[in-house]
Amino acid sequence: MNGALAGDSFVAGVASSLQDALRAEGWTVMPWTLRDEKLAYCLGCFECWTKTPGLCRIEDAGRDVARSVIESDLAIFLTPITFGGYSSELKKAVDRIICLISPFFTRIGGRIDGEVHHHARYARYPAMLGIGVLPEPHAAQEEIFRTLIGRNAINLHAPAHSSAVIYRSQEPAVATAILRNLRHKAERTPA
Amino acid sequence: MTTPQNALLLIGSAKPAGQSTSEALGTYLAQRLQARGVTTTTMHVARAMRTEARTAELLDAVDHSDLVILAFPLYVDSLPYLVTEALERIAAHRQAQPSSAPASFLAIANCGFPEAAHNATVLAICRQFADEAGFAWAGGLALGEGGAVSGRPLAQAGGMVRNVVAALDLAAAALAEGKPAPQEAVALLAQPFIPARAYMLMGDLGWLMQARHNRALTRLAARPFGHG
Repeated sequence: MNGALAGDSFVAGVASSLQDALRAEGWTVMPWTLRDEKLAYCLGCFECWTKTPGLCRIEDAGRDVARSVIESDLAIFLTPITFGGYSSELKKAVDRIICLISPFFTRIGGRIDGEVHHHARYARYPAMLGIGVLPEPHAAQEEIFRTLIGRNAINLHAPAHSSAVIYRSQEPAVATAILRNLRHKAERTPA
Repeated sequence: MTTPQNALLLIGSAKPAGQSTSEALGTYLAQRLQARGVTTTTMHVARAMRTEARTAELLDAVDHSDLVILAFPLYVDSLPYLVTEALERIAAHRQAQPSSAPASFLAIANCGFPEAAHNATVLAICRQFADEAGFAWAGGLALGEGGAVSGRPLAQAGGMVRNVVAALDLAAAALAEGKPAPQEAVALLAQPFIPARAYMLMGDLGWLMQARHNRALTRLAARPFGHG
C-alpha cells in the first residue's frame, strides 16, 4: 500500500524496489498506488460492522484493498512520514480496512488486565511491515512511526510486525537491504 | 503562548453536525472560552475539505486565530483521513508563510475503547504537527469510553460526565490566560466514566442492537472475503 502524495518520485522508487526485491524472492505482489485509486474516505458509520458485516457500504477500490490485505501473508504500509504518522493517502485506505475486524471487544495481553481492542473477524491476518520515508533523521517522528505500526499491528491482529525508516538522501534501492534485514528484526505482536 | 482573542474550533468527526462526541467536547470548551471573553468560530473539517474554496476558508480562519482547537475521534490509532489531509494543508500553508502570527494548538482526542491511553500515539502526532506548523503546543486531552457520550451535548449527558466538564473547565481557564491545558485537566478527562467491564458489556450490547435493527444479527461474524 503505497501512500505517496502526488509528485513524490522518491517513494515511487522505493515502491518499485520493494516489488522487485519481493518478486525476486518468489513473492506474488499486489501493489496499490493509493493516490491513483478511486477511494472514498471512511464515514465512521460502522455499517461494515452492523449492517453489511465485513464489507464497507461504499463500492469502490476500498473493498478491493481490504480484500487484498486479508488475502496476503504480508501487508506493507509505505508512506512519507507525516508528523510521525501516515500520509493522508495511506490513512484513507487504512481507515477503510476496519471491516476486517469485529466490533466486539476483547482484551489483548491478559484476560483481566489486558488492553481492550476489537475481536478478530478472520482466522488469520497478514504480518505487517511499515516503511516510512523522511527527508532526514528525526528521532521523535521515527519513534511515533514505530509505535504507530506496533499499535496498528495489535488492532489489526497482525501476528508479527516490523518497521523501518528510509531517508531521502539514500538511494530508493536501499529498501531491498531493509527488507532483507527486517526478516531478522520482526517482532511478535501481543495477542 | 499568547492570551487568545480568537479561537477556532475544528471538528474532526465525519458524522453530521451535532452528532459526534468530538463536537460535544469541542463545543463545551468553546462555550467556556466564550464565557471568558474569547471569540470562537467552529468549522467541520469534513465540510471544509470538500472543495478548494472551503479549504481556503479554513486556512484563512486558521490565519486569523490565535488558538486552534482540534477535537476528533481516534481512527485506527491515529487521525481520521480528512483530518490528516487538513493538517497537511495547514502545515504547508503556514510553512509557506514564515511570518505567520503566533498561535497555539490544542488537541482533544476521543476513542471508543475504555482506556484513554489509546490516544497517546495520535496526540504525539498532533504535537509533531504543531511543531512543524509553527504553533505553540497548548496540550493534548484524551477521552476513553467515547461511546458513553455518544454525541450528546455535555449539558444533556448528566452526572456521568462531571469529570469531563471539570477537565474542560480547567482547560478553558488556563487557555484563556494564555497557558497550556494543565495536567490536572488531562488526568481528569482520562478517567473512565464506568468500569471497563461494564463499558465493554454495554458496547457489545449496543453493536448487537444495531445489528438487530439492521436485520444483520445472524451475519455479524461474516467473512465476506472468504478467508480463514
